[in-house]
Amino acid sequence: MTKSSEESPSRRTFMMVVIGLISAVIGVALAIPILGEVLSPLFKKRDIVWSELGKVSDLENIEPLVPKFVPVYFRVKEGWTVNTLPRQVIVVKDITGKLYFFSNQCTHLGCPLHWIPARQKFMCPCHGGMFNILGKVVGGPPPRPLFVWVHKIENGTVLIQNKFLDNPKERGV
Amino acid sequence: MFKKIQNWFDERIELTELIKEFNGERIPARGGWAYTFGSLLAFLFTVQVATGIFLLFYYVPYFPMARNATYYIKHHVLLGNILLGIHLWGAFTMIFFLLVHMSRVYFSGSYKKPRELQWVVGMVLFSVVVILGLTGYMLIGNENSWWTINVLTNVAAHTPVIGGFLRIIVRGGTETSVLTMQHIFAVHVWLLPIVVIMFIPVHIFLIRKTGEQGMPLEYKNSQLSDDDLNKWKHPDATVPFFPDQLFKDMIVALAVFAVVYLLAVVYGAEIGPMYRPLALNFAPEADWYFLANEELLKYFPGHGLIIFSTFLVPTIGFAILFALPFIDRGHERSPFKRPAATVLGILFLLLLVYLTLIGGEPKAPATV
Repeated sequence: MTKSSEESPSRRTFMMVVIGLISAVIGVALAIPILGEVLSPLFKKRDIVWSELGKVSDLENIEPLVPKFVPVYFRVKEGWTVNTLPRQVIVVKDITGKLYFFSNQCTHLGCPLHWIPARQKFMCPCHGGMFNILGKVVGGPPPRPLFVWVHKIENGTVLIQNKFLDNPKERGV
Repeated sequence: MFKKIQNWFDERIELTELIKEFNGERIPARGGWAYTFGSLLAFLFTVQVATGIFLLFYYVPYFPMARNATYYIKHHVLLGNILLGIHLWGAFTMIFFLLVHMSRVYFSGSYKKPRELQWVVGMVLFSVVVILGLTGYMLIGNENSWWTINVLTNVAAHTPVIGGFLRIIVRGGTETSVLTMQHIFAVHVWLLPIVVIMFIPVHIFLIRKTGEQGMPLEYKNSQLSDDDLNKWKHPDATVPFFPDQLFKDMIVALAVFAVVYLLAVVYGAEIGPMYRPLALNFAPEADWYFLANEELLKYFPGHGLIIFSTFLVPTIGFAILFALPFIDRGHERSPFKRPAATVLGILFLLLLVYLTLIGGEPKAPATV
């Protein structure tokens, strides 16, 4: 017959340690897979694809300093689905004829920008961020100029990647 | 017959004693109506659980479908508009009365020793309910939901060090996708409600344990000084919880429920348009309880300052609220005897109302 904890203090300590250890083992054994499940997205690579935007010859004919919103469609894997993500590309031609491919997301917190012709500015409807036609911040809270899509020109076609240039923290998209 | 059933239970588990113990709690007599907010919130939460469970019969947490499922509940499910409406207006009412309940406790100094834990547990409940509100807004799956998800996960990304990881974890990837909605869904219907369900009993247990601590007006006849802890244990008069206090609780519950029901029937839940990723003139809007915070986001421009509006001010604000009973340790409870706390409280409420009002004003013009 073993002694009860009331008779033997050392047995009481022993039992308390065992109770604690069992709780800890079960707790840790459960927490590890749960943590893995929750943190899983951190270990997934983003699906990066190229998508056609249009012919350079067409885009070069737009009016200078007037933004043209051109939709682009990225077919990407997201979780267990394959989805088509429609995104806006703001194509701008400056006076030297150089083309810019901006994202229409505000660099503050990602709201969709509006082009206000009367003020010649992009305005963010959420928190009042303002950008000029070349993407520079001219007012409000945004911390940096407009994101530029990763792009290349092949055989006279503009290709856009679902990724921004100069965006180490992968903000936006 | 009834007596026989009662005896059967009493012989085994002393049910009558148990019920007496539960119902017989002494409540300070004078502030009865002011003490109804707590049980009103418990009641509203029960309503949210009941309506929420049955909304799940039709809801799909998948981005392109979620809004249509919600639309279907509203327009094609028999009386679904009322169920959805109660869930929406019940949530708004709950957040509103949480603020009322907190203000009542703040101004009457009810968070002071020995009720510090009570306040901390209440703050946990408050934080969780606000997140429940925000996630609920996202689950509608309309255009606003989409932008709310994007904006709020971007806000989370401004947390120092772990921000970027946090956003990826919440979104289930770098972009808002099917996994994002699934995560928000799990958090809204399981994770957070379970936290609330666990903390409400703790909140109530602590009331029972700390005893009859009432508002200052309960102690007009007391001869003891404010610093004497014994003073706060003995109000001038008390009544039993059942039926005196519950009677008032029920009247308030009915009045509020009637208003919620009326709003649900007359206004219902607005569902709004489907998410159009290519829309060029859409201005996202936050729910009313988030407008103050939304407004705050406008005032800190540039790289170094954004963190104030996205992280520092809200975090420090919440930290101060959580730690309130440990910061304000004076024994005075009457709002008139501690003018600094009272004036600060009123100023804070006014600031909140002001920010909410200007935050609700129309934003940048869609087109000029």
